[in-house]
Amino acid sequence: MNLLEVKNLKKSFGDLQVLKDISMTVGEGEVVSILGPSGSGKSTFLRCISMLETIDGGEMSYCGSKAVKEENGKPVYVSKQELKEIKHSFGLVFQNFNLFPHYTVLRNITEAPIHVLKRSSAEVMAEAKVLLQKMGLADKGDYYPYQLSGGQQQRVAIARALAMKPRILFFDEPTSALDPELTAEILKVLKDLAQEKMTMLIVTHEIDFARSVSSHVVFMDGGLIVEEGKPEDVIDNPSNERTRTFLRKLEQ
Amino acid sequence: MNQKGISALCAASLLLTLFTPSLSAFAADRTQFTVGFDAEFPPYGYQNEEGEYVGFDLSLAQEVCDRNGWELKKTPIEWNSKDMELKTGAIDCIWNGFTINGRENDYTWSVPYVDNSQVAVVRTDSDISQLSDMENKIVAVQTDSSALAAFTGEDAEQKNIDLANTFKELQQIGDYNSAFMNLESGSVDVICMDIGVAKYEISKRGDKFKMLDEQVSSERYGIGFLKGNTELRDEVQSTLLQMLEDGTFAEIAEEWDLSDSVCLSEDVAVRDDFTEDETPFGEKLVSICRQLLKGVGASLSIFFLTLLFALPLGLLIALGRMSKFKPLSVLIKLYISVVRGTPLMLQMLVVFFGPYFLFHVSTSTEYRFIAVIIGFTLNYAAYFAEIYRSGIQAVPVGQHEACEILGFSKTQEFIRIVLPQMFKNILPSITNEVITLVKDTSLAFAISYTEMFTLAKQVAAAETTIMPLFIAGVFYYVFNLIVAFAMEYIEKKMNYFR
Repeated sequence: MNLLEVKNLKKSFGDLQVLKDISMTVGEGEVVSILGPSGSGKSTFLRCISMLETIDGGEMSYCGSKAVKEENGKPVYVSKQELKEIKHSFGLVFQNFNLFPHYTVLRNITEAPIHVLKRSSAEVMAEAKVLLQKMGLADKGDYYPYQLSGGQQQRVAIARALAMKPRILFFDEPTSALDPELTAEILKVLKDLAQEKMTMLIVTHEIDFARSVSSHVVFMDGGLIVEEGKPEDVIDNPSNERTRTFLRKLEQ
Repeated sequence: MNQKGISALCAASLLLTLFTPSLSAFAADRTQFTVGFDAEFPPYGYQNEEGEYVGFDLSLAQEVCDRNGWELKKTPIEWNSKDMELKTGAIDCIWNGFTINGRENDYTWSVPYVDNSQVAVVRTDSDISQLSDMENKIVAVQTDSSALAAFTGEDAEQKNIDLANTFKELQQIGDYNSAFMNLESGSVDVICMDIGVAKYEISKRGDKFKMLDEQVSSERYGIGFLKGNTELRDEVQSTLLQMLEDGTFAEIAEEWDLSDSVCLSEDVAVRDDFTEDETPFGEKLVSICRQLLKGVGASLSIFFLTLLFALPLGLLIALGRMSKFKPLSVLIKLYISVVRGTPLMLQMLVVFFGPYFLFHVSTSTEYRFIAVIIGFTLNYAAYFAEIYRSGIQAVPVGQHEACEILGFSKTQEFIRIVLPQMFKNILPSITNEVITLVKDTSLAFAISYTEMFTLAKQVAAAETTIMPLFIAGVFYYVFNLIVAFAMEYIEKKMNYFR
């Protein structure tokens, strides 16, 4: 089953058309990486499918339910109630974590499952502790975010997203606010998640990571998908000139 | 001597002039003559429609100056501060329908020139027709006025003291205009005042008010000079007597319609009494503190009640201000702009007098205090609202997006995520406002509510010393030290996150 289906997505900010025509599907258990130079529209695309931005054209479905359909050439969102349900099917990990600074690590993770999903707090607590264990942060539950390193904060943010039990998880450049050594610990977490067959859509600049983890790689430039396919094809034998230029620049 | 030494010396001499009678007024080659007067005391001294200071007393003073080749300086003073003005040499005399009776030992007096009596003024429709009807009524007098002295002063007649004991309340009011507004709106039942003023005010205000035939007391006006300054007194007095002789005095009295009240005469003995009041310092300090203590409770209630109401109200206003419903946000923006753009004193006057003068609703006695709290609350809530708004807007957009992704409702987001972070953001600004509020409580005097500072001014006026004002200053400072300490403690507590 496809957990995400995007058709002919368009998005403009004023006169600037940032996304010209993007279509993409992500199947269950897939790990899709989106590569591309700055300003190519990757982050905007992620914000559109996370519904932090409203789209100007196209259709979006999650786990088989339509969230936006096109009527008379205009995108129409389904009712608020339906959207609320659909939104529970995905999670998003931000580039700069956006943890709640006034809550402890544990409360950052448990607040939404308890108060949004209305689950029992004992159960949620137990799960949160397991998640922290998995993130290597078992002893940090009572810390406040400012007491943690950037890498630790991002792992808490991932745990917070996972605690909502999303079917698909979006990552918006999860390592670009981090030092190289801290980047490694986040990539390891993502690799572990990939091995557990977590469905993920990752915007990243880490080419080596994209090659080793992704089942599918998308290269975006100028608001369009320029090239896509298996990582070994797109990254090692790019057919498009723009992909080649981008990869060459990264290697330098 | 180095710079520091000089400035220390300057400061010391400045303090000296504050505490000791200034000798500058004794200068032989006088070119100026500064008259201190209450600019709201017609017909003796007031501001006319052209904005000039005029009046019977000022006309007399002008003539005296012309004859001596002096330049007349008319200095309107705050009535409560008159003794300090005189002591520091800021004014040469108090010439302003100034009652001698009861103040004989406090000034060096000229011969009396007006015989005045204290009378009672009531609304035309009032059921009060003689003094004994004032039982259980609210009676207003001007702060530190002859009428007040007639009821409570040391030299008050026993019959007046007994009469005052039957009043429901003896309310002190700063100026006659506001006293008449109080009378008209029913906040007070009677105003007791000088007969000349009463005649003038009644003629100006039409038939809404009337004067009782029975008089409270009889008294005389003189020119008050700094105690011991007989030289200047003699100069002014002899010029006045000249004016009496050549008829100028009578002309001026005619001009101000006071021919019936003047009593200037050479025969009146000039009495110079130099006995100083010798109450020991410590005793005086204790007595002043005891008097001020009565006002501390009032100041504290204004402070705490204002915070109690304005802090939550400010949050509602801030939310309205940020509302997407345009008419609401525009309305609230206008409200904040008006409140921040006009003086708090004026706002309190509007709240206090508004119900009667706008809607003809009579207000109860208790309304004076309620009006203070409403005025302060509406004012402070507007400031708090803007602080809240800045604090809410300072919460990073990433926090809102995280809430959106996790599925928080708007209410959950506001209460759980935005409020705690806002609270930490705004603490320093709130501290500033709270400290200002401590000092602003003194503004309640605008509608004659007796809090500590009003009391300090009254005591200062009654005891002719600035000590009460210093004590009041110490009170505000200590109060603010406690506030600052408490706020610092809360700020530290909020440092559990960054």
